[in-house]
Amino acid sequence: MVNIFKRMRNLRTVLNFRLGSGAAILPSVANATKEYPAVTRLHLTYARKIYGGHQGARHFWRRCLPRLKYHNPGVPMTVRQTDEQDGPAALTIYFAQRASNAATALAADKKVTDSHAPAPESGEQAAVVNVKDLTYAEIWSRVQAATGAQGVSPTAEETQELKKLEDMRVKSEEDRKRVLGFREAKKDQERMIAEARKEVERLKEM
Amino acid sequence: MSSYGSRLPAAARGILSPCRIPIRESSIAPLVSTFQQVRGLKTNSRAKGKGKDKPVKQDRRGQKDFIQRNLKDMQQFALCDAMRYLRAAEVGHDPSRVKYELHVRLRSKKDGPVIRNLIRFPNAVQTEARICVICPPGSKHAKDSLAAGAVLVGEQEVFDAVKEGKIEFDRCLAHPDSLPALNKAALGRILGPRGLMPSVKTGTVVEDVGARVDMLRGGTVYRERDAVIRLPIGQLAFSPEQLRDNMRTTMDQIKKDAAALNHQVIKEIYEVVLSSTNGPGFSLNGEFRTETSPETSALTGL
Repeated sequence: MVNIFKRMRNLRTVLNFRLGSGAAILPSVANATKEYPAVTRLHLTYARKIYGGHQGARHFWRRCLPRLKYHNPGVPMTVRQTDEQDGPAALTIYFAQRASNAATALAADKKVTDSHAPAPESGEQAAVVNVKDLTYAEIWSRVQAATGAQGVSPTAEETQELKKLEDMRVKSEEDRKRVLGFREAKKDQERMIAEARKEVERLKEM
Repeated sequence: MSSYGSRLPAAARGILSPCRIPIRESSIAPLVSTFQQVRGLKTNSRAKGKGKDKPVKQDRRGQKDFIQRNLKDMQQFALCDAMRYLRAAEVGHDPSRVKYELHVRLRSKKDGPVIRNLIRFPNAVQTEARICVICPPGSKHAKDSLAAGAVLVGEQEVFDAVKEGKIEFDRCLAHPDSLPALNKAALGRILGPRGLMPSVKTGTVVEDVGARVDMLRGGTVYRERDAVIRLPIGQLAFSPEQLRDNMRTTMDQIKKDAAALNHQVIKEIYEVVLSSTNGPGFSLNGEFRTETSPETSALTGL
């Protein structure tokens, strides 16, 4: 197994699961309001390649969905990657009972049908948001607007740890430069020695 | 200035010379990079002043045991918390392929026997292993293994398929009756590197092929490599309780395996890490859940 310090350094990135874009708590049945009903499921469909405006959707999956899933462990989230480059890039948000007004407005903006998304069950209403040609940040702000998700801000400890990690990153960059200097000096020396040896050989032959 | 030694008779100078301040060394030593000195300092107990009777650290190559680092440095998690992170890491991946994995680090010597066994979980991890059985076609064993769920049964047809490069199975068993035919076919070159070549040593040449197929289908084979046992422990849809039960069974069996080894060999479980197909590894602290963990129902399903 890899040595513990390496693993620990790697594991510090668990903070990445907790904080950043996508770190927000979706309204659940317990704290749903009239404006923002509870979110029951999410489904994302996009095509395999990035051309045709599918890049943002993929980045949304990579960068936002894990955090969203971490803060909402009970909300099923599915991703479907298709081969249809002309097909939809769509995020389907399933609401309990009825969709929020913001979500319906967003869905009506650029209508899209997503045949890969599971059909809403009884007592569920889906809003299909077209995410084609949008960056992941734009998609995320739309999701926040549609669902009324409460963003998670870092606690004092987490801020401190983030700062520590940032310091480590800066330090490691410095160290990398320093070590590169050592290695280059060593290589230079070796090269010079090799050249000198060659010179000696040449002189011997003469 | 001449040193005091120059005024002494030659004989005395000879005796005293080791005690003299070594001019050359002292003048050059600070200029030499500290990089080289570290080693000397470590082995020279006098240079440190204290720690005179500390044992000299053994050379890394000479170590007989696998290095055990102090787990106090490791951040450890309760099962539910680790699952929450892993489920977040696996979001959007194909749920039928994603599995939870368990890595059990043992306290063990570098040489000596290794643990190697087969386990049946209370909650089956369907690894969907495709099993090939090499036995005389039409025999009772062939029927048994087909009934138990082997995908490929026979002798010559299997050899032909393998020679054509069609290896559509993950496990390969053989009946002792077909062993001569198998050796004659010389498949070791093809199957050997994939770890599929049946041999008595690995326990893949057995009399009761049917029962073995049944066991392999429901069970998971594991072995210790570099003091770590790695095995799939559950599907992503498992609840924390199901995963806990599987882990308990695994721990019990590994302890039994360790006890069943030679008396001189001592193996203990040292660290347990839960991971998943695409996720990072989380060292477990043995607790089930903490106050901040979500409900177990939220960690179940896809």
